[in-house]
Amino acid sequence: MTETSMDDKCLYKLIQERDMIQMMVESFTQSVTEGNNLFEVPTKAFVEHHNELIRRYISGEPFISSYFCCAPEIYTAMDLPWSTFLTPAFTGMLNPDYQDEVDASGQLFATDLCTIIRQAAYYVVADMVPPPTAIIAMMHPCDGINVVHQVMANDKKWKDVPVFGADPPYWADERSLDYYTDQLYEMVAFLEEHTGLKLTEDKLRETCEESNRAYAIWDEYSQTRRAVPCPHGGGMGLQVFGTLSTNLCGKPEGTDWVKDVLEDAEALIKQGKGAVPEEKIRLLWFDVLSLGTTTDLFPWLEEEWGAVIVMDMFGYAPYSQLDTTNMDTMMKSLAARALNDVPMIRQARGLADLFLVDITNIVKEYKIDAVIYPGYMGHKDGTANIGMMREKCRELGVPFTTIGMDFYDDRYTSPDEVKDKLSKWFESMGHTPKSG
Amino acid sequence: METSVKSKNLDAFRTAAHTIVNPELQKWMDQGGKVMGAWCCYAPEELITAAGLVPFRVRATGSTGTEEADAYVSSINCSFCRHAFNMGLHGEYDFLEAMVWLNNCDHVRRMYDNWWRKVNTPLTKMMSLPKFTGDKQVAWWREELVFLKEALEKHLGITITDDKIREGISIHNEKKRLLRQLFELRKSDNPPITGADSLATAVASTAMPPEEFNKMLKELLEELKDTEGIKDYRKRLLLVGSIFDDPSYVKIMEDIGGLVVADSECFGTRAFAVDVDESIKDPLDALAKFTIKDRQHCPRLFGEYKRRSQYIQDMVKEYKVDGVIGLRMTFCDLWAGEYYMLNLDMKEAGIPFFYMDREYLMAGTAGQVRTRIQAFMETL
Ligand code: SF4
Ligand code: SF4
Repeated sequence: MTETSMDDKCLYKLIQERDMIQMMVESFTQSVTEGNNLFEVPTKAFVEHHNELIRRYISGEPFISSYFCCAPEIYTAMDLPWSTFLTPAFTGMLNPDYQDEVDASGQLFATDLCTIIRQAAYYVVADMVPPPTAIIAMMHPCDGINVVHQVMANDKKWKDVPVFGADPPYWADERSLDYYTDQLYEMVAFLEEHTGLKLTEDKLRETCEESNRAYAIWDEYSQTRRAVPCPHGGGMGLQVFGTLSTNLCGKPEGTDWVKDVLEDAEALIKQGKGAVPEEKIRLLWFDVLSLGTTTDLFPWLEEEWGAVIVMDMFGYAPYSQLDTTNMDTMMKSLAARALNDVPMIRQARGLADLFLVDITNIVKEYKIDAVIYPGYMGHKDGTANIGMMREKCRELGVPFTTIGMDFYDDRYTSPDEVKDKLSKWFESMGHTPKSG
Repeated sequence: METSVKSKNLDAFRTAAHTIVNPELQKWMDQGGKVMGAWCCYAPEELITAAGLVPFRVRATGSTGTEEADAYVSSINCSFCRHAFNMGLHGEYDFLEAMVWLNNCDHVRRMYDNWWRKVNTPLTKMMSLPKFTGDKQVAWWREELVFLKEALEKHLGITITDDKIREGISIHNEKKRLLRQLFELRKSDNPPITGADSLATAVASTAMPPEEFNKMLKELLEELKDTEGIKDYRKRLLLVGSIFDDPSYVKIMEDIGGLVVADSECFGTRAFAVDVDESIKDPLDALAKFTIKDRQHCPRLFGEYKRRSQYIQDMVKEYKVDGVIGLRMTFCDLWAGEYYMLNLDMKEAGIPFFYMDREYLMAGTAGQVRTRIQAFMETL
């Protein structure tokens, strides 16, 4: 098989994705901080990673399906490329026929199921995702993720692909960490058995050390966002997180790149420059982000209201360091990261308290003026915390609002409705829009 | 369509299914007995009984709105959770001494967070239910059982001995056996009991002092021996889904000729299809193995889909089922995936299958339910 065998739907989709990713990140680049090329490295990394997946798919070499919350440093250390089953759903949004595809998936799955899960499941059952050598099923933080992996594991074409899922406990204590560490050891054994690749302590240490360097810089970078005005617009936090936990996880190129991001922010702070010429409202966006939010909504917030997303759920993490003393400490600290650090997983997996702890810390540390909980329709657990979050914000003395939106299907709450809702909210706080 | 027997016990079960605090439970409480709520049928009722409490499976029977709960949760949360939480906020669950949740779904997980903050239940406890069914998960769950046991011991100032747990297991195993006996009567061409009354009985089993319930069910089984079976039905149906505790829903189906003869539901057979293995020496080992490995699972447990599907297909044969109906609670992700897979499997097996979304309260949707079920039955 070659890249030109376009009659293979999976291969066609992979190639289409690779090309779309290039476009997607380019358009993202233009919308965030003009005049810098901070997005070139992640774009290239995405594309190269996809090229490797295409190559392996064609040659029959191992690759897996997994996600960023399953200790991706292990995959890097094993030199094992992994595709996230959600990528087709994300890149699908750049496809003009995207809404039709959403509808097609709607016919298969209940329309109130998280759209991204519904889409991802649709691409699998429609034979548009290459069956991997093995699946590491993501089991947290939500029901949708559990469901989509069950659908994958029972799909006609995927049913013979071996599956392993590390079982995430609800708690975050020592016992839970030990349990999850043991699960990761089982995951490694499973991967070794099914891919023929080996994990060595030295290689894992090298990867973890690199990941630590990158995380330390990410931490520093996040702190630069405390500056008034905030040096970068919303979306950069997600970009850093995404890059460091997927294609460049534990790789020197990732560390070099996040250093560039940090230096860029520091230079802007020195010059007294912010993401917008006049920063008026500092916002916390406490939920997922999508292409639409970063390319349309955030720029609108900045231009129309001088409102900057200073921190978001994906840019914020404990940024904890992995203990590289020996194999056990590495596995245990990877388990701790997987359960307690990874954005969204961290808050949504167990007790709701971390929603409140994080909101409190971010509001205080980042001088936040107002908190938005977008209320993504897939986040049934988060939307059940709205009362708690509102009460917490009242206690902190910051306005709180929730929208109720679907990041992946505009028809749920249209971009205009979202903007209208936010405008009214800002006005109620006494702000005036630029165009008003 | 009616069960022809006139039985005061069946009447009591019907009452229990249509109320929260039934007379038998009230009597227990009047005598100083305490009650512990459970938000899911995976909660270890045997351990609750061993602690001297009556296990009560939470429902929102009789709820009329969710106004108060809506200040805390959103309209995309499962309506069962919203109604039950609303009842908690209203004080309708103030009779509970304790309550246990499992992290069984996104909605229920958050009900715990909201409940302990807003409702005055003296002891609230969460248990971490694994998502897989291997030996390590059995060991993990056993520890969770120990934590629950210790919390109950501390709260109530008691010691829960192994013998007490064995006794709890034996009482609930008897309950399961009796319920199975009742449900198996429905294999007959002319079952002596309707689906609505079977569901009412199963619901009552989660809301009454279990020994009292067992006594009453034994009597009902005797009474049913001489009962004339139901003949005036057109099709035999099997229901599959999550929380489904309202016999009036079943009655709608039965009134249009669709006799419900079997189910795979939380309040139905999945809860009592299998006994806890009393031959295992350590009763907590037995309970852990039962919950993680032996019992009939719901979609929350990964890797069990084939068994779940087979369970339904076996019942379709044994109970001579004409069609399978899935009733999915709107916004329930777990069951969204399940019905997708079941639809494929049932097609392959040549079993007519239909699923529809529903709200917890039937009020206002009865007409729609009737029309859709009727349309499905016409295809059979
Ligand atoms: S569907 Fe599963 S998790 Fe939900 S209530 Fe029923 S048994 Fe519990
Ligand atoms: S019906 Fe579904 S969403 Fe509702 S409580 Fe049960 S498992 Fe959770």
